[in-house]
Amino acid sequence: MKNILYILLLITQIAFAQDGFKKGNDLYQNAKYADAAKAYEAVLEANQESTELYFNLGNCYYKMHQTANAIYHYEKALVLDPNNKEALNNLKFAQKQTIDEIKVVPKVGFAKLLRDFTGIYPFETWAWITISFAFLFLLFFMGYYFYQTVTIKRVFFVGMFVVLLFLLMSISAAFFEKSHFDNERPAIVFAESADVRSEPQNASATTFVLHPGTKVYVEETLGNWKKIQLTDGTEGWIDKQAIKEVKD
Amino acid sequence: MKRYLIIFLLCFQGLLAQVQFEARVSKTTLGLNERLRVDFVMNIDGDNFVQPSFDGFRIIAGPSQQVSQSWINGRTSFEKSYSYFLLPNQKGNLVIKQAMIEYDGKIYKTQPVRINVTAATEQPRDPNDTQISADDNLYLVADISNTNPYINQPITVVYKLYFSNYIGITGFKELAKPKYNDFWNQNIDIKELVPEVGMFKGEQYRYVVLRKTVLYPQKSGKLMIEPLSLDIGVRLPTGRRDYFGRVETVDDNKRVSAGSKMIKVKALPETGKPVDFTGAVGKFDFSAVPSKTTLKSGESLDLVLSVVGTGNLKLFTLPKPEVPNALEMYDPVHDEKVNTPLSGMTGKISDSYTIIPQYKGDYVIKPMHFSYFDLGTGTYRTISSKEIKISVLDGPAQTANTPAVASSGKNRIGGIEQFQFIDLQTELTTRNKPPFFGSNKFYGLLFLPFLLLPIIVLFKKKKEAIDSDVFGNRIKMNNRLAKKYLSEAKKQINNKEPFYVALEKAMHNFLKAKLHIETSEMSKDNIRELLLSRKVSPESVDHFIALTENCEIARYAPSSSATIQHDFDKAVSIISELEKQI
Repeated sequence: MKNILYILLLITQIAFAQDGFKKGNDLYQNAKYADAAKAYEAVLEANQESTELYFNLGNCYYKMHQTANAIYHYEKALVLDPNNKEALNNLKFAQKQTIDEIKVVPKVGFAKLLRDFTGIYPFETWAWITISFAFLFLLFFMGYYFYQTVTIKRVFFVGMFVVLLFLLMSISAAFFEKSHFDNERPAIVFAESADVRSEPQNASATTFVLHPGTKVYVEETLGNWKKIQLTDGTEGWIDKQAIKEVKD
Repeated sequence: MKRYLIIFLLCFQGLLAQVQFEARVSKTTLGLNERLRVDFVMNIDGDNFVQPSFDGFRIIAGPSQQVSQSWINGRTSFEKSYSYFLLPNQKGNLVIKQAMIEYDGKIYKTQPVRINVTAATEQPRDPNDTQISADDNLYLVADISNTNPYINQPITVVYKLYFSNYIGITGFKELAKPKYNDFWNQNIDIKELVPEVGMFKGEQYRYVVLRKTVLYPQKSGKLMIEPLSLDIGVRLPTGRRDYFGRVETVDDNKRVSAGSKMIKVKALPETGKPVDFTGAVGKFDFSAVPSKTTLKSGESLDLVLSVVGTGNLKLFTLPKPEVPNALEMYDPVHDEKVNTPLSGMTGKISDSYTIIPQYKGDYVIKPMHFSYFDLGTGTYRTISSKEIKISVLDGPAQTANTPAVASSGKNRIGGIEQFQFIDLQTELTTRNKPPFFGSNKFYGLLFLPFLLLPIIVLFKKKKEAIDSDVFGNRIKMNNRLAKKYLSEAKKQINNKEPFYVALEKAMHNFLKAKLHIETSEMSKDNIRELLLSRKVSPESVDHFIALTENCEIARYAPSSSATIQHDFDKAVSIISELEKQI
């Protein structure tokens, strides 16, 4: 009885969230961007999320010229779906509105090649691929074990090891992606102008100043300070209030 | 040998000690307005005296030669000297170089003398001097408008030369220009010196304004203005009159200095100091005006930031506009239209930025803030410009993916990236769901196939064992058949004939399974024997046989449904009984 109640509650909640999403869409279409953003935020508060929801929210903030917020939500959408074309496209538009222009220095070398391969899928997909390889292995084993013909047996035997190899590859890819996901902490600058210092002290000299919407990567946290790295490799310490981490 | 050498050396020393030629100075440190006496003294009668070049000095008197000779107790002493009176022309370390004389064919030189010339000193008056001297009648005064200003608050210094009616001025020369360390200064040119009449020290004096300067202190604390020193040609009355009754005068030179002045500069208050304060002090108005707000890409617009007002206009920087990086902004053209009257700088400074949009779209230039310290109210004020919206009507979208050749008359669509509309459908999921990867479910599913491997192996082994066991299989089959027929009998409980056939078959198969016999061996005696040998109770055997017989008879004899039911129950009970006993 209790379970049914929970399920009922969950269903109504999802229905409510869906309504909020639809309401936001209508408001957006009528160019009431602030209200639309509120409607979408309400869905978020109901502990529901989706790539599209973040994408739409980003669009609302873009239209309201809140560049930092727009970029933040596009990045959030891209965390859920790294290859979302629409989000990538509109993110480019939002980035044109930012004040800082920071070059993206491409990474090179073997690590980059490896990352290119594992980055094809997010680690969740890799996990499912691993599971399917495990079951395929079982099938190949059964084929090998039960078939009587020598040739077929041989094919299954070799296949079994090939599948096992693939399984190991996919599980390593999953681990690699997971650690990459955990270690990469992108953040967006929200403060009107944020001083980046060479040391985590107020007395330390300001190395450069960042403006809203700039994407940084958080490397370390110390008290009220966060060590950040820009896309061009420059590092420095920033007040932790000045930025908002995308994966929080 | 050594002794001779010493004697020899001593002889020479005695000879050398005889000739002395040195330069004596009255003092080594003196003020710019003080005199220095230099004597070149020798104890021989040297010839061809060559005076040094007195660089940095002016000779007021000299050379005067003096010779004295005395005999005391039979000893003769001789002294000859050349004297000079010098006046320094500049401050700093000066050197009086070597003087030379010739004596007995040899050349003797003095040591160079270092003289340190400091700023002008105030000279005490000589009370016994009754003659009208320049000292009482000539004053250089620096008027300072405010000795306790804020940083960057303008103050003015006016140098006035007061001179009494008794003396005349023939001219003046600047010796030391006043130095304004830690001040920004601007001289106001005075084209013509105009003597005016004013009161000074309770008497009527004439004065000229020599120099006007506007100063902006750049540092807080006590700052010194180094004095202005002048060498003034004066014409003094001697008190005598000439043949015609005119007052006789003498020309003289007089040095005056204004004395150094101390200015106490207040720092600007820290309370309420805006973050973007760049040091502007005064009263200003700030504006940021774009030349246009709607334009095509490739066109340029000028954004002019200007500050108008009074204050230290040249001494602060204008705020820099922050524009989206899609707008290309070039370095500004700085323009100053500032006048500096005695009240301080006034006018307009502006920075003109050229901005060229790169891409189509609407962009916002955020408001700029300009802060200054208002001297009138003693508080900080901030002026913000309005937000500037710029819309770029056409031009390339975000990527430069424009077609190289525009096909005529065709509206080309595609290949242009545009801002994407919102998504209308979504599948919402719970936030912060723990990831599947790494969960127990993941590991369970991952290891399940591997756990199944031994089970499959065991299963196959078992199956092979079962397949190879022929006897057991037969029993199993008979048992299965017995059950099958029994259940069929139950189904046919209303049809007498099939019921009894099924019941008989069930009992036969049961026996086959239990006694491991073939149908051919099935005879009543045989069955009885076998059952009894297995220690089945004789009653059960009897019942069983009776029932089998009954089946055969009942097939053809009329019987009620009650007997059928009874026979079925009986068969079931016998089978279960036999099951227990075998």
